[in-house]
Amino acid sequence: MRGVRILFFAYLFVVLLGIAYVTVLGVAGR
Amino acid sequence: MTARQDEYGFLRANALSLAFGGLFLATLVGQALSGVAEVNSQQVVDGLEPLTLLEYVTSSSFGVDVMENWQSEYLQFFLYIFATVWLVQRGSSESKELGTEGTESDEEQEVGRHADADSPSWARAGGLRTALFSRSLGLLMGALFLLTWAASSIAGWAAFNGEQLAERQDAVSWLGYLGEADFWNRSFQNWQSEMLAVGSMAIFSVYLRQRGSPESKPVGAGHHETGRTG
Repeated sequence: MRGVRILFFAYLFVVLLGIAYVTVLGVAGR
Repeated sequence: MTARQDEYGFLRANALSLAFGGLFLATLVGQALSGVAEVNSQQVVDGLEPLTLLEYVTSSSFGVDVMENWQSEYLQFFLYIFATVWLVQRGSSESKELGTEGTESDEEQEVGRHADADSPSWARAGGLRTALFSRSLGLLMGALFLLTWAASSIAGWAAFNGEQLAERQDAVSWLGYLGEADFWNRSFQNWQSEMLAVGSMAIFSVYLRQRGSPESKPVGAGHHETGRTG
C-alpha cells in the first residue's frame, strides 16, 4: 500500500500546488 | 489482499489513477498550447505583440480558465458524495438501495466497537475522530471546491481588471469582482454541465450497461435492481 499512499499524496499535492499557483498569479495581478 | 493482487507491480496496481494523472497532464498541455494560440490570434487582430507560451501560462487568464473547471469538478463530487447518502434513484447503479437512505448504523459502517482488524484506527476510535473520518471524503471535496473557487475568483479578478484597463475602464476590487457578471457566468457555465452529467449518470445507468465496469450494473441485472455494481 506504500505506492498507493504516495499516489494519494501526489494527487493532493498537485491540486494544492495548482490552487496556490493560480492564487499567486491573481494576487500578483499578472 | 489475495496472493494474485500481491503479484501486481506498481503500474498495474495503480493503473486507474496513473492513467488519469497522465491524461490530466497531457490535456493541461493541450489547453496551454491551444490557449496561447487563441490569445495570439486576438493579439494580432489588436495589433499587439504575441505572447510566448511562458508568458501565457503565467497569466491570470490561463489561471482562471484552469481553476474555473477544477472548482466545478470538486463541487460535483462534493454534492454527489453527500447527496447519495440521502437521495436514491430506483434502478441506478449509482444509488443505494431504497430504504437505506441516511448514514446507516455503526454495525453496517463497521465503526466503533463494530470495527474489525482491518479497519482504520480512526474508524475504531469513536468521538470526534470517527465523526471526522466518517465524512472525510466529502469534506475534502468540499474544501477543495471552496479553495479552487476562491482561486478562480482571484485569478478571474486579475484577468478581468487586465481587460478593463486595456479598454480604459476602471479596475474593480476583488469584492466588486464577486458581484460581476463575468464571475458568475464563469461559475454557472461550469456548474450546469456538471449537474447534467451527474443526473445523466444516475438515470442512464438504470437501463443501460457497460460490461465489466463498476460504474454499471452487471449486464444481466434487472432494470429495477438498485445499487448493484459489476
